[in-house]
Amino acid sequence: MEKRSVFNSWWLPILFALPQILLILLFFYWPAIAVMKWAFTLEPPFGGAAEFVGLTNFKEVFADPFYWKSVAVSLIFALCGTFFTILVGLVLAIAVDRQLPGSGLFRFLYILPYAIAGPAAGMAFRFILSPERGLMASVNAAFPDFWNPAKYGTHALVLVIVIFAWKWAGYTFIFLLAGLQSVPRSLAEAAAMDGAGPIRRAVDIQVPLLAPTLFFLLVIMMTEGFVGSDTFGIVHSTTGGGPNHGTEVMVFRIVDEAFKGLNYSGASAQSIVLIGLIMIFTFIQFRFIEKRVHYK
Amino acid sequence: MIQRTPIADAFTYVLMVLGFILLIGPFIVILAGASQTLQQINSVPFHFLPQDRFLENASAAWSRANLGTAMTNSLIMACLVTFGKVALSACTAFAIVFFRTPLKHLFFWMVFITLMLPLEVRVVPTYAVAADLFEPFRLLISALTGTEISVEWNLLNSYAGLTLPLIATATGTFLYRQFFMTLPDELAEAARMDGSGPVRFFVDMLMPLSRTNMLALTTIMFVYGWNQYLWPLLMITDPTYKTTMMSLGALLPSENSLPDWNVTLAGSLIIMAPPLIVVAVLQRWFVRGLVATEK
Amino acid sequence: MKITVLQSVLASLLAATAFGAGPVYAEKTKFEFWYGLSGDLGERVQDACKKFNDMQADYEIICTSQNGYDTTLQNTIAAYRAKKQPAITQIYDAGTLDMMLSGAFVPAKKLMADNGYTIEWANYFGGIANYYATAAGELNSFPFNSSTAMFYYNVDAFQKAGIDFKPETWEQVDEAARKLKAAGFECPLGFNFDTWQMMEQFSAIHNQPIATKGNGYKGLDAELVFNKTKFVDHVKFFKKMADEKLFVVKTKQLGMDIVPAFTSQTCQMIQTSIADHGTIGKSLPEGVKWEVAMLPVWKGTERQNSLVGGASLWVMAGRPEAEYKGAAAFLNFLATPEMAQWWSTVTGYIPVTKTGFDAMKAKGFYDNAPYKGRELAIASLTYTPTSENTRGIRLGGFTQIRKEISTALEAIFMQNADVQAELDQAADRSNAVLRRFEKTYAGQKLN
Repeated sequence: MEKRSVFNSWWLPILFALPQILLILLFFYWPAIAVMKWAFTLEPPFGGAAEFVGLTNFKEVFADPFYWKSVAVSLIFALCGTFFTILVGLVLAIAVDRQLPGSGLFRFLYILPYAIAGPAAGMAFRFILSPERGLMASVNAAFPDFWNPAKYGTHALVLVIVIFAWKWAGYTFIFLLAGLQSVPRSLAEAAAMDGAGPIRRAVDIQVPLLAPTLFFLLVIMMTEGFVGSDTFGIVHSTTGGGPNHGTEVMVFRIVDEAFKGLNYSGASAQSIVLIGLIMIFTFIQFRFIEKRVHYK
Repeated sequence: MIQRTPIADAFTYVLMVLGFILLIGPFIVILAGASQTLQQINSVPFHFLPQDRFLENASAAWSRANLGTAMTNSLIMACLVTFGKVALSACTAFAIVFFRTPLKHLFFWMVFITLMLPLEVRVVPTYAVAADLFEPFRLLISALTGTEISVEWNLLNSYAGLTLPLIATATGTFLYRQFFMTLPDELAEAARMDGSGPVRFFVDMLMPLSRTNMLALTTIMFVYGWNQYLWPLLMITDPTYKTTMMSLGALLPSENSLPDWNVTLAGSLIIMAPPLIVVAVLQRWFVRGLVATEK
Repeated sequence: MKITVLQSVLASLLAATAFGAGPVYAEKTKFEFWYGLSGDLGERVQDACKKFNDMQADYEIICTSQNGYDTTLQNTIAAYRAKKQPAITQIYDAGTLDMMLSGAFVPAKKLMADNGYTIEWANYFGGIANYYATAAGELNSFPFNSSTAMFYYNVDAFQKAGIDFKPETWEQVDEAARKLKAAGFECPLGFNFDTWQMMEQFSAIHNQPIATKGNGYKGLDAELVFNKTKFVDHVKFFKKMADEKLFVVKTKQLGMDIVPAFTSQTCQMIQTSIADHGTIGKSLPEGVKWEVAMLPVWKGTERQNSLVGGASLWVMAGRPEAEYKGAAAFLNFLATPEMAQWWSTVTGYIPVTKTGFDAMKAKGFYDNAPYKGRELAIASLTYTPTSENTRGIRLGGFTQIRKEISTALEAIFMQNADVQAELDQAADRSNAVLRRFEKTYAGQKLN
């Protein structure tokens, strides 16, 4: 069961929880309910009477091939982003965990990209990985169009994934390093005695013991990539969803549809679908984490 | 001790240096670019060595994007978000973990179902009510008493509008809850035996104990608050409330003039600096706090 | 309550900074004006505001750039919903119908009549006024920064390539491009995916419809037909030329948009707004010879007038009466011949009234560089009386429609998609936008 509660008071917990509960009601549940009005009507941009249209908005969303493309782009972005953040974090954690002289400095440095906002990073990378100046100019001079995110959807997608992975690799590194350091030394020593090399040891002993941390990071990074704050910022400040919808992630599409296309109702329908999906996902995952904590 | 072979050590260093190039390299490029002249930054191949023009570029960027106002606003916003979040999370987590009330489970699910819904996902709903936030209260009051009141409050162009929707999520509460659950039951037991009430226990015992946790949360929330992008873009129409992230666009070389990316990069470096400093300074606690609560 | 305390503290903090800035003139009526222009043009708007504030003592206009046409519309909507709208806002051509049906504005004619100003409405150029007027010809908003698309070419490059004719038809452009290429110019003509030049202006001057119902003027049930007109052949021509590397895509995402491509002499021909005339003159190195001309037509075409672009000023509903007096005074001030001339001189936008244009012409404004050539924009706009296809475009959600078409162009030129298939798809998607718009404003009529 959960932690034994010790204090008996009916009004104190309410008092303590009240500010947050109020905020959540006001800024979360009330908007979620209020937006239903938009999703089931056709909301005129400047307000005014809106006609009830039933499920039309939802039907339109699901019938739109570009909506499904944005779902696919989001999935690819989240999957690849997660994979690379964890891979880089893991490799670096294993290296730093060997505690060679100087590794403390590296550990200090690796976390720094975490502080950078997605859009700020996006702007910097627009320069760093621009096809005609910065680093790639030399490569492109030798092989024209080798790298051109403005022209090729795949290049653009690679660009935004690289920025995401850059920002978050340090974060996964921190967790994985902590996970590694809690692996008993004796285990690794025993393996070393058996003649297993460092890479063998990493793959056979350390990684399996990291499984809980890896799973935790998988969930966190997938969510971050799918709906996180930076995802929108990165896309908005680099590719603007293009070329030809190539990097249009779901959140970007919602915002673009609502505030550029002035289709508040269609965007509301998309929002509700997304919020519903994530709520279900959170619920399931929460039950799982709860169990994990409990039985450990 | 694990045996150290020179080859394995060398390989480890190679990996660490590669990681350095990958993760810190972009900073070096930004720094180098930010300190070069227009000619240098546009030359191919790129020069990685920082030059001496950083201050000129930075001051050009500062005035181009009016960073003075923006930095102040971002600082206020980040501090309000951090403070509000840390205070509210601690209180809510305390209520959820240490009390037995019938409302406990309701609170728990109400708060935690929002855990993975950042503002970006609920931006359209929040925008939908932003113009008239007191509508539910008005509806409630007029339903209960039959009187019409005309209190209005909208989120446009105010610090409250910028920060409150960001505070209304569960991340911090989750962190605190996880931390409180790791504390031994005996601690609260003992407090009760001593006759100190729950409030005393919260202030005298829990607060000092959760210092690391608090610093970790402070780091996360400061970075989160400072780096907000979409919400200010939608809620701010008055330039006096502009935040740094909104100034990014103004930093880009303008369409028909010179590609002065050196100024752009210098400006972006200024904007990146505050959260970078916070993470660097608070790193030790940040890491410990994060890792301790993960399990 | 916690919130109110916090709010009042912040409010007082803010008030302190706001009032600390300068002396307060309580007796002046203040009102806000939001505009979308930024950079150099934005500065000129600020100049206009300052002139207005300096010349009278009753009102103070506070001018705020929202950095872009689309954000101005977006922020105007947000502010209107929150009842914090500015008195005047600048809305671009594509947002015209969205504004007209919003019911959120005070019609221009009514505003001026209510506040005792007489405006010679017939004095506006028909081609400009029609874009913003009701079917009865009554203006809803004030034409402000008006432009049209023009053709710019580098005369030096033409001479070097031995081209001895002016590019008046697309056949000639084709020939010129080949000669330029042969003479070693990498980018004879640069173009981007802006539909304004490529589709809207092309369709108007070639008398091709973009949508049925007179491009939407006669009803919300209009349907897009650009995928069945000469525009398709035109895109195919561009595609062929692009494949032969005679026409080159130049966009901001690719590193350089068409105007910088022209001013850096990378590209030798472009189609862009007359509003860029000033920038181009300033940015090209001293001594480089260049010309501006009306957009080319296909041989044998009877040229029609081109469409006005740019933006107009809308007066928002729901402000205090005193602000409307100020807004009317400001708009009247902008319409004075002196201001109209000043505005055209410092920007490159064209004068919107006949008398303004005639006065400038009489003074010899257009006779010499750097302003020579700008009169061609008026010539292009007034080439013929406006007809069904050249009156303007009155389609709902036109921002979205433009985006659908430019995405199609992106797919055609960057990813080698089939021209007809892409344009058909764009038309289908755009028609869906129109149908949704029609339903959103069901029961409303175009007046």
